[in-house]
Amino acid sequence: MYKAVIIGGSAGSFQVITRILHSLPPTFPLPVLLSLHRLKHIRSGFVEALSIKAGIPIVEPFDKEQIKPGRAYLAPANYHMYIELGNKIALSTEEPVNHSRPSIDLSFMTAAQVYRDKLIGIILSGANRDGAYGLKKIKDLGGIAIVQDPAECQVKTMTEASLKLTKVDHVLSTQEIIKFLQNIKTTAP
Amino acid sequence: MIRYEIGIVETRNVIKTILDTYGYDFRDYALTSLKRRLENVIINNGFKDADGLIARLTSSKDYFEVFLNEIIPETTEMFRDPSLWRTLRDELLPDIMKSSSKPKLWVAAFDSGEELYSLAIILKEAGVLSDVQLYASTISDKTIDKIKNGRIDAKELEVNDANYLRLNGKSKFSEYYKIDNGQTILDTSLIHGVNFIKQNTLYDNAPGGIKLILFRNQMIYYNQIQQDKVLNQLTNSVVPGGYLILGVKETLENTNTSNKFTVFNDLEKIYKKKTT
Repeated sequence: MYKAVIIGGSAGSFQVITRILHSLPPTFPLPVLLSLHRLKHIRSGFVEALSIKAGIPIVEPFDKEQIKPGRAYLAPANYHMYIELGNKIALSTEEPVNHSRPSIDLSFMTAAQVYRDKLIGIILSGANRDGAYGLKKIKDLGGIAIVQDPAECQVKTMTEASLKLTKVDHVLSTQEIIKFLQNIKTTAP
Repeated sequence: MIRYEIGIVETRNVIKTILDTYGYDFRDYALTSLKRRLENVIINNGFKDADGLIARLTSSKDYFEVFLNEIIPETTEMFRDPSLWRTLRDELLPDIMKSSSKPKLWVAAFDSGEELYSLAIILKEAGVLSDVQLYASTISDKTIDKIKNGRIDAKELEVNDANYLRLNGKSKFSEYYKIDNGQTILDTSLIHGVNFIKQNTLYDNAPGGIKLILFRNQMIYYNQIQQDKVLNQLTNSVVPGGYLILGVKETLENTNTSNKFTVFNDLEKIYKKKTT
Protein backbone atom coordinates (compact mmCIF):
# COMPACT_ATOMS: atom_id res chain seq x y z
CA MET A 1 0.00 0.00 0.00
CA TYR A 2 2.98 2.37 0.45
CA LYS A 3 5.06 3.77 -2.39
CA ALA A 4 8.01 5.46 -0.67
CA VAL A 5 9.78 6.26 2.58
CA ILE A 6 11.33 9.68 3.06
CA ILE A 7 13.75 10.46 5.89
CA GLY A 8 14.98 13.86 7.04
CA GLY A 9 17.86 14.37 9.41
CA SER A 10 20.54 16.78 10.49
CA ALA A 11 22.99 16.98 13.37
CA GLY A 12 23.12 13.67 15.23
CA SER A 13 21.30 11.67 12.57
CA PHE A 14 24.22 10.01 10.79
CA GLN A 15 24.46 6.98 13.09
CA VAL A 16 20.69 6.56 13.10
CA ILE A 17 20.54 6.62 9.31
CA THR A 18 23.43 4.17 9.14
CA ARG A 19 21.63 1.75 11.45
CA ILE A 20 18.38 2.04 9.51
CA LEU A 21 20.05 1.48 6.13
CA HIS A 22 22.02 -1.44 7.57
CA SER A 23 18.79 -3.12 8.66
CA LEU A 24 17.03 -2.96 5.30
CA PRO A 25 17.07 -6.14 3.23
CA PRO A 26 18.05 -6.02 -0.46
CA THR A 27 14.42 -6.94 -1.14
CA PHE A 28 13.08 -3.84 0.62
CA PRO A 29 9.97 -3.05 -1.43
CA LEU A 30 10.10 0.78 -1.43
CA PRO A 31 12.46 3.55 -2.46
CA VAL A 32 14.07 5.40 0.47
CA LEU A 33 14.53 9.14 -0.06
CA LEU A 34 17.15 10.76 2.15
CA SER A 35 17.13 14.52 2.67
CA LEU A 36 19.97 15.16 5.08
CA HIS A 37 21.79 18.34 5.95
CA ARG A 38 25.41 18.12 4.88
CA LEU A 39 28.44 20.25 4.11
CA LYS A 40 27.63 22.07 0.92
CA HIS A 41 31.12 22.17 -0.55
CA ILE A 42 31.96 18.50 0.01
CA ARG A 43 30.54 16.63 -2.92
CA SER A 44 32.01 13.19 -2.40
CA GLY A 45 32.43 10.83 0.52
CA PHE A 46 29.00 10.96 2.15
CA VAL A 47 27.27 8.41 -0.03
CA GLU A 48 30.32 6.17 0.27
CA ALA A 49 30.27 6.42 4.07
CA LEU A 50 26.57 5.58 4.20
CA SER A 51 27.01 2.71 1.76
CA ILE A 52 29.58 0.78 3.78
CA LYS A 53 27.03 -1.07 5.89
CA ALA A 54 23.82 -0.45 3.95
CA GLY A 55 21.58 -3.31 2.93
CA ILE A 56 20.37 -1.52 -0.19
CA PRO A 57 22.24 0.49 -2.85
CA ILE A 58 22.51 4.22 -2.19
CA VAL A 59 22.88 6.75 -4.99
CA GLU A 60 23.19 10.49 -5.25
CA PRO A 61 20.73 10.85 -8.10
CA PHE A 62 21.17 12.78 -11.29
CA ASP A 63 18.46 15.22 -12.21
CA LYS A 64 15.29 13.50 -13.55
CA GLU A 65 16.52 10.09 -12.44
CA GLN A 66 13.74 7.52 -12.26
CA ILE A 67 12.98 6.40 -8.70
CA LYS A 68 13.10 2.64 -8.16
CA PRO A 69 12.18 0.47 -5.19
CA GLY A 70 14.90 -1.10 -3.07
CA ARG A 71 17.24 1.86 -3.50
CA ALA A 72 18.09 4.86 -1.37
CA TYR A 73 18.40 8.32 -2.95
CA LEU A 74 20.58 10.81 -1.09
CA ALA A 75 20.04 14.51 -1.81
CA PRO A 76 23.33 15.76 -3.38
CA ALA A 77 25.37 18.48 -1.70
CA ASN A 78 24.19 22.04 -2.41
CA TYR A 79 21.01 21.00 -4.27
CA HIS A 80 17.40 20.76 -3.22
CA MET A 81 15.92 17.36 -4.01
CA TYR A 82 12.31 17.41 -5.20
CA ILE A 83 10.07 14.50 -6.09
CA GLU A 84 8.49 15.13 -9.49
CA LEU A 85 5.32 13.69 -11.00
CA GLY A 86 6.18 10.54 -12.92
CA ASN A 87 8.16 9.22 -9.94
CA LYS A 88 11.35 11.11 -10.78
CA ILE A 89 13.94 13.06 -8.84
CA ALA A 90 14.23 16.74 -9.73
CA LEU A 91 17.17 18.77 -8.45
CA SER A 92 17.25 22.49 -7.90
CA THR A 93 19.74 25.22 -7.05
CA GLU A 94 17.01 27.57 -5.90
CA GLU A 95 17.88 29.55 -2.83
CA PRO A 96 18.32 27.79 0.51
CA VAL A 97 15.27 27.53 2.76
CA ASN A 98 15.91 28.08 6.47
CA HIS A 99 19.62 28.25 5.52
CA SER A 100 19.38 24.72 4.20
CA ARG A 101 20.05 23.27 0.77
CA PRO A 102 18.96 20.50 0.61
CA SER A 103 15.85 21.61 2.44
CA ILE A 104 14.06 18.77 4.20
CA ASP A 105 10.79 20.72 4.03
CA LEU A 106 10.97 20.96 0.24
CA SER A 107 11.81 17.27 -0.22
CA PHE A 108 8.98 16.24 2.12
CA MET A 109 6.40 18.63 0.63
CA THR A 110 7.06 17.59 -2.95
CA ALA A 111 7.11 13.90 -2.01
CA ALA A 112 3.79 14.35 -0.22
CA GLN A 113 2.26 15.89 -3.33
CA VAL A 114 3.34 12.95 -5.48
CA TYR A 115 2.77 10.00 -3.12
CA ARG A 116 -0.01 11.48 -0.94
CA ASP A 117 -1.38 8.78 1.43
CA LYS A 118 1.17 6.24 0.22
CA LEU A 119 4.15 7.95 1.82
CA ILE A 120 5.94 7.37 5.12
CA GLY A 121 7.84 10.40 6.45
CA ILE A 122 10.41 10.13 9.22
CA ILE A 123 12.14 13.02 11.02
CA LEU A 124 15.33 12.24 12.93
CA SER A 125 17.74 14.11 15.19
CA GLY A 126 18.65 17.63 14.11
CA ALA A 127 19.54 21.11 15.26
CA ASN A 128 17.01 23.30 13.47
CA ARG A 129 13.34 23.35 12.56
CA ASP A 130 13.68 22.17 8.97
CA GLY A 131 11.36 19.26 8.19
CA ALA A 132 8.55 20.16 10.59
CA TYR A 133 6.44 21.81 7.90
CA GLY A 134 7.16 19.05 5.40
CA LEU A 135 6.14 16.35 7.85
CA LYS A 136 2.90 18.22 8.49
CA LYS A 137 2.27 18.26 4.75
CA ILE A 138 2.73 14.48 4.59
CA LYS A 139 0.27 14.02 7.45
CA ASP A 140 -2.23 16.47 5.94
CA LEU A 141 -2.24 14.56 2.65
CA GLY A 142 -2.89 11.25 4.38
CA GLY A 143 0.63 9.84 4.74
CA ILE A 144 2.23 8.36 7.86
CA ALA A 145 4.24 10.76 10.04
CA ILE A 146 6.95 9.32 12.26
CA VAL A 147 9.34 11.18 14.55
CA GLN A 148 12.39 9.75 16.29
CA ASP A 149 11.88 9.81 20.06
CA PRO A 150 13.46 13.12 21.16
CA ALA A 151 14.63 11.41 24.35
CA GLU A 152 16.94 9.36 22.14
CA CYS A 153 18.09 12.18 19.81
CA GLN A 154 21.55 13.70 20.10
CA VAL A 155 19.93 17.02 19.19
CA LYS A 156 16.21 17.39 19.88
CA THR A 157 15.33 20.66 18.12
CA MET A 158 14.13 19.14 14.87
CA THR A 159 12.03 16.35 16.32
CA GLU A 160 10.47 18.63 18.93
CA ALA A 161 9.60 21.21 16.27
CA SER A 162 7.90 18.47 14.25
CA LEU A 163 5.95 17.19 17.26
CA LYS A 164 4.80 20.71 18.06
CA LEU A 165 3.40 21.26 14.58
CA THR A 166 1.88 17.89 13.79
CA LYS A 167 -0.09 15.19 15.54
CA VAL A 168 2.21 12.45 14.32
CA ASP A 169 1.35 8.77 13.99
CA HIS A 170 4.33 7.39 15.85
CA VAL A 171 7.17 8.53 18.10
CA LEU A 172 9.72 5.73 17.84
CA SER A 173 13.21 4.77 18.92
CA THR A 174 15.72 3.85 16.22
CA GLN A 175 15.10 0.17 16.92
CA GLU A 176 11.35 0.66 16.58
CA ILE A 177 11.77 2.61 13.32
CA ILE A 178 13.78 -0.32 11.99
CA LYS A 179 11.09 -2.79 13.05
CA PHE A 180 8.40 -0.60 11.49
CA LEU A 181 10.23 -0.49 8.14
CA GLN A 182 11.02 -4.21 8.16
CA ASN A 183 7.33 -4.98 8.64
CA ILE A 184 6.17 -2.92 5.67
CA LYS A 185 4.04 -4.92 3.31
CA THR A 186 3.13 -3.68 -0.12
CA THR A 187 0.62 -4.98 -2.58
CA ALA A 188 3.10 -4.58 -5.36
CA PRO A 189 4.13 -7.85 -7.02
CA MET B 1 2.88 29.30 8.49
CA ILE B 2 0.45 28.35 5.73
CA ARG B 3 2.15 29.11 2.45
CA TYR B 4 0.21 29.83 -0.72
CA GLU B 5 0.24 26.83 -3.05
CA ILE B 6 -0.48 27.00 -6.74
CA GLY B 7 -2.37 24.13 -8.39
CA ILE B 8 -1.48 22.44 -11.66
CA VAL B 9 -4.43 23.95 -13.56
CA GLU B 10 -3.54 27.46 -12.33
CA THR B 11 0.10 26.85 -13.29
CA ARG B 12 -0.99 25.93 -16.80
CA ASN B 13 -3.13 29.08 -16.96
CA VAL B 14 -0.14 31.27 -16.09
CA ILE B 15 2.02 29.47 -18.67
CA LYS B 16 -0.64 29.93 -21.35
CA THR B 17 -1.04 33.61 -20.53
CA ILE B 18 2.70 34.20 -20.94
CA LEU B 19 2.85 32.22 -24.17
CA ASP B 20 -0.20 33.94 -25.68
CA THR B 21 0.76 37.45 -24.58
CA TYR B 22 4.55 37.50 -24.92
CA GLY B 23 5.55 34.35 -26.83
CA TYR B 24 7.80 33.00 -24.06
CA ASP B 25 7.31 29.27 -23.72
CA PHE B 26 7.47 27.74 -20.24
CA ARG B 27 5.43 24.65 -21.13
CA ASP B 28 8.41 22.33 -20.95
CA TYR B 29 9.90 23.60 -17.73
CA ALA B 30 10.13 21.10 -14.85
CA LEU B 31 6.85 21.43 -13.04
CA THR B 32 7.80 21.23 -9.37
CA SER B 33 10.44 23.94 -9.42
CA LEU B 34 8.42 26.18 -11.75
CA LYS B 35 5.43 25.94 -9.41
CA ARG B 36 7.59 26.87 -6.47
CA ARG B 37 9.00 29.94 -8.22
CA LEU B 38 5.52 31.01 -9.35
CA GLU B 39 4.43 30.76 -5.72
CA ASN B 40 7.42 32.90 -4.69
CA VAL B 41 6.51 35.54 -7.29
CA ILE B 42 2.88 35.56 -6.17
CA ILE B 43 3.81 35.81 -2.48
CA ASN B 44 6.64 38.36 -2.88
CA ASN B 45 4.57 40.67 -5.08
CA GLY B 46 1.53 40.50 -2.84
CA PHE B 47 -0.81 38.91 -5.37
CA LYS B 48 -3.76 37.06 -3.90
CA ASP B 49 -3.39 34.06 -6.16
CA ALA B 50 -2.52 32.95 -9.70
CA ASP B 51 -5.38 35.01 -11.15
CA GLY B 52 -3.87 38.11 -9.56
CA LEU B 53 -0.56 37.36 -11.25
CA ILE B 54 -2.28 36.70 -14.60
CA ALA B 55 -4.17 40.00 -14.42
CA ARG B 56 -0.91 41.88 -13.81
CA LEU B 57 0.96 40.01 -16.53
CA THR B 58 -1.68 40.81 -19.14
CA SER B 59 -1.95 44.47 -18.19
CA SER B 60 1.71 45.47 -17.93
CA LYS B 61 4.61 44.68 -20.23
CA ASP B 62 6.93 46.40 -17.76
CA TYR B 63 5.79 44.01 -15.08
CA PHE B 64 6.55 41.09 -17.39
CA GLU B 65 10.24 42.12 -17.36
CA VAL B 66 10.15 42.09 -13.55
CA PHE B 67 8.47 38.69 -13.66
CA LEU B 68 11.13 37.25 -15.99
CA ASN B 69 13.86 38.48 -13.68
CA GLU B 70 12.18 36.75 -10.74
CA ILE B 71 11.06 33.52 -12.38
CA ILE B 72 14.58 32.48 -13.37
CA PRO B 73 16.40 30.95 -10.39
CA GLU B 74 19.35 32.93 -9.07
CA THR B 75 22.77 31.35 -9.18
CA THR B 76 23.19 32.20 -5.46
CA GLU B 77 26.96 31.90 -5.20
CA MET B 78 30.21 32.83 -6.94
CA PHE B 79 32.58 30.03 -7.96
CA ARG B 80 30.06 27.30 -7.18
CA ASP B 81 32.06 24.03 -7.35
CA PRO B 82 35.58 25.53 -7.06
CA SER B 83 37.08 22.34 -8.51
CA LEU B 84 35.29 23.08 -11.80
CA TRP B 85 36.79 26.57 -11.94
CA ARG B 86 40.24 25.20 -11.19
CA THR B 87 39.88 22.70 -14.02
CA LEU B 88 38.63 25.42 -16.34
CA ARG B 89 41.58 27.64 -15.50
CA ASP B 90 44.31 24.98 -15.50
CA GLU B 91 43.20 22.61 -18.28
CA LEU B 92 40.62 24.21 -20.54
CA LEU B 93 41.94 27.74 -20.79
CA PRO B 94 45.41 26.87 -22.13
CA ASP B 95 43.75 24.81 -24.86
CA ILE B 96 41.18 27.49 -25.65
CA MET B 97 43.74 30.29 -25.86
CA LYS B 98 46.18 28.51 -28.15
CA SER B 99 43.74 27.71 -30.90
CA SER B 100 42.10 30.93 -32.00
CA SER B 101 42.93 34.62 -32.15
CA LYS B 102 40.00 35.89 -30.09
CA PRO B 103 38.09 32.90 -28.77
CA LYS B 104 34.42 33.32 -27.95
CA LEU B 105 33.20 32.17 -24.55
CA TRP B 106 29.50 32.09 -23.73
CA VAL B 107 27.75 32.03 -20.37
CA ALA B 108 24.55 30.57 -21.79
CA ALA B 109 22.91 29.86 -18.46
CA PHE B 110 20.28 32.42 -17.52
CA ASP B 111 22.63 33.71 -14.90
CA SER B 112 22.03 36.27 -12.20
CA GLY B 113 25.62 37.42 -12.68
CA GLU B 114 27.64 35.02 -10.54
CA GLU B 115 28.74 32.70 -13.35
CA LEU B 116 29.72 35.59 -15.60
CA TYR B 117 31.71 37.45 -12.93
CA SER B 118 33.35 34.20 -11.77
CA LEU B 119 34.48 33.48 -15.33
CA ALA B 120 35.69 37.05 -15.81
CA ILE B 121 37.79 36.87 -12.63
CA ILE B 122 39.34 33.57 -13.74
CA LEU B 123 40.19 35.13 -17.12
CA LYS B 124 41.57 38.28 -15.57
CA GLU B 125 43.85 36.35 -13.22
CA ALA B 126 45.05 34.31 -16.19
CA GLY B 127 45.83 37.57 -17.95
CA VAL B 128 43.56 36.86 -20.91
CA LEU B 129 40.37 38.78 -20.12
CA SER B 130 40.91 41.19 -23.00
CA ASP B 131 41.96 38.41 -25.37
CA VAL B 132 38.55 36.74 -25.45
CA GLN B 133 35.04 37.74 -26.50
CA LEU B 134 32.51 37.04 -23.75
CA TYR B 135 28.83 36.49 -24.40
CA ALA B 136 26.17 36.32 -21.70
CA SER B 137 22.56 35.26 -22.12
CA THR B 138 19.83 36.82 -20.10
CA ILE B 139 16.09 36.59 -20.35
CA SER B 140 15.21 39.95 -18.83
CA ASP B 141 16.40 43.54 -19.31
CA LYS B 142 16.12 43.89 -15.53
CA THR B 143 18.71 41.17 -15.10
CA ILE B 144 21.06 42.79 -17.62
CA ASP B 145 20.86 46.07 -15.70
CA LYS B 146 21.56 44.33 -12.43
CA ILE B 147 24.59 42.52 -13.81
CA LYS B 148 25.95 45.62 -15.56
CA ASN B 149 25.74 47.53 -12.29
CA GLY B 150 27.59 44.76 -10.45
CA ARG B 151 24.66 44.32 -8.13
CA ILE B 152 24.52 40.64 -7.52
CA ASP B 153 22.60 39.52 -4.46
CA ALA B 154 25.64 38.40 -2.55
CA LYS B 155 23.71 37.19 0.45
CA GLU B 156 26.41 34.80 1.44
CA LEU B 157 29.68 36.65 1.08
CA GLU B 158 31.48 34.17 3.30
CA VAL B 159 30.47 31.37 0.90
CA ASN B 160 31.92 33.32 -2.01
CA ASP B 161 35.10 34.03 -0.06
CA ALA B 162 35.46 30.37 0.90
CA ASN B 163 34.88 29.24 -2.68
CA TYR B 164 37.53 31.68 -3.90
CA LEU B 165 40.01 30.30 -1.38
CA ARG B 166 39.35 26.74 -2.57
CA LEU B 167 40.07 27.92 -6.07
CA ASN B 168 43.60 28.96 -5.08
CA GLY B 169 43.08 32.30 -6.76
CA LYS B 170 45.88 34.81 -7.21
CA SER B 171 44.39 37.53 -5.09
CA LYS B 172 41.59 37.89 -2.54
CA PHE B 173 37.93 37.83 -3.48
CA SER B 174 37.45 41.08 -1.60
CA GLU B 175 39.63 42.76 -4.27
CA TYR B 176 36.73 42.36 -6.68
CA TYR B 177 33.88 44.05 -4.84
CA LYS B 178 33.08 46.96 -2.58
CA ILE B 179 30.27 47.33 -0.12
CA ASP B 180 28.06 50.35 -0.54
CA ASN B 181 25.20 50.87 1.90
CA GLY B 182 25.20 47.20 2.76
CA GLN B 183 25.00 46.24 -0.90
CA THR B 184 27.79 44.26 -2.48
CA ILE B 185 28.90 45.80 -5.76
CA LEU B 186 31.22 43.86 -7.99
CA ASP B 187 33.94 45.49 -10.05
CA THR B 188 32.07 46.19 -13.27
CA SER B 189 35.28 46.70 -15.25
CA LEU B 190 35.46 42.90 -15.26
CA ILE B 191 32.51 42.69 -17.65
CA HIS B 192 33.30 45.75 -19.71
CA GLY B 193 33.57 43.91 -23.02
CA VAL B 194 30.72 41.46 -22.51
CA ASN B 195 28.19 41.05 -25.28
CA PHE B 196 24.78 40.57 -23.63
CA ILE B 197 22.25 38.60 -25.63
CA LYS B 198 18.63 38.82 -24.68
CA GLN B 199 17.16 35.41 -25.23
CA ASN B 200 13.82 33.71 -24.99
CA THR B 201 13.27 30.34 -23.39
CA LEU B 202 14.20 28.45 -26.58
CA TYR B 203 17.57 30.10 -27.29
CA ASP B 204 16.47 31.12 -30.78
CA ASN B 205 19.26 33.64 -31.43
CA ALA B 206 22.33 31.73 -30.32
CA PRO B 207 25.76 33.06 -31.33
CA GLY B 208 28.08 30.84 -33.39
CA GLY B 209 31.75 29.82 -33.33
CA ILE B 210 31.88 29.35 -29.57
CA LYS B 211 34.86 27.68 -27.85
CA LEU B 212 33.31 27.31 -24.41
CA ILE B 213 29.72 27.28 -23.18
CA LEU B 214 28.91 27.46 -19.47
CA PHE B 215 25.46 25.98 -19.00
CA ARG B 216 25.46 24.75 -15.43
CA ASN B 217 22.34 23.95 -13.46
CA GLN B 218 19.91 25.02 -16.16
CA MET B 219 18.77 21.67 -17.54
CA ILE B 220 17.46 20.81 -14.08
CA TYR B 221 14.72 23.40 -14.65
CA TYR B 222 13.58 21.75 -17.90
CA ASN B 223 11.81 18.55 -18.80
CA GLN B 224 13.41 16.26 -21.36
CA ILE B 225 11.68 17.85 -24.36
CA GLN B 226 13.06 21.28 -23.52
CA GLN B 227 16.46 19.83 -22.64
CA ASP B 228 16.75 18.34 -26.12
CA LYS B 229 15.58 21.54 -27.85
CA VAL B 230 17.98 23.80 -26.00
CA LEU B 231 20.92 21.40 -26.21
CA ASN B 232 20.45 21.26 -29.98
CA GLN B 233 20.76 25.04 -30.17
CA LEU B 234 23.84 25.08 -27.96
CA THR B 235 25.50 22.22 -29.84
CA ASN B 236 25.20 24.11 -33.11
CA SER B 237 26.97 27.06 -31.49
CA VAL B 238 30.05 25.14 -30.31
CA VAL B 239 32.97 24.70 -32.68
CA PRO B 240 34.44 21.20 -33.02
CA GLY B 241 36.89 20.71 -30.15
CA GLY B 242 35.01 23.31 -28.09
CA TYR B 243 33.64 22.68 -24.60
CA LEU B 244 30.20 22.46 -23.01
CA ILE B 245 29.98 22.49 -19.22
CA LEU B 246 26.87 21.31 -17.37
CA GLY B 247 26.07 21.19 -13.66
CA VAL B 248 27.61 18.32 -11.69
CA LYS B 249 24.26 16.54 -11.44
CA GLU B 250 23.29 17.07 -15.06
CA THR B 251 24.33 14.79 -17.90
CA LEU B 252 24.20 14.54 -21.68
CA GLU B 253 23.39 10.83 -21.33
CA ASN B 254 19.85 10.15 -22.47
CA THR B 255 19.73 13.34 -24.50
CA ASN B 256 19.77 13.46 -28.29
CA THR B 257 23.07 15.37 -28.35
CA SER B 258 25.15 12.83 -26.41
CA ASN B 259 26.72 11.44 -29.61
CA LYS B 260 28.04 14.89 -30.56
CA PHE B 261 30.36 15.12 -27.55
CA THR B 262 32.97 13.12 -25.70
CA VAL B 263 33.28 13.25 -21.93
CA PHE B 264 36.30 15.42 -21.08
CA ASN B 265 35.85 15.38 -17.29
CA ASP B 266 33.06 13.28 -15.84
CA LEU B 267 33.18 14.64 -12.27
CA GLU B 268 32.82 18.24 -13.41
CA LYS B 269 30.56 17.36 -16.35
CA ILE B 270 32.81 18.94 -18.99
CA TYR B 271 32.06 17.77 -22.54
CA LYS B 272 34.16 18.30 -25.66
CA LYS B 273 32.55 18.50 -29.07
CA LYS B 274 33.70 15.85 -31.51
CA THR B 275 35.56 17.02 -34.58
CA THR B 276 33.58 14.92 -37.05
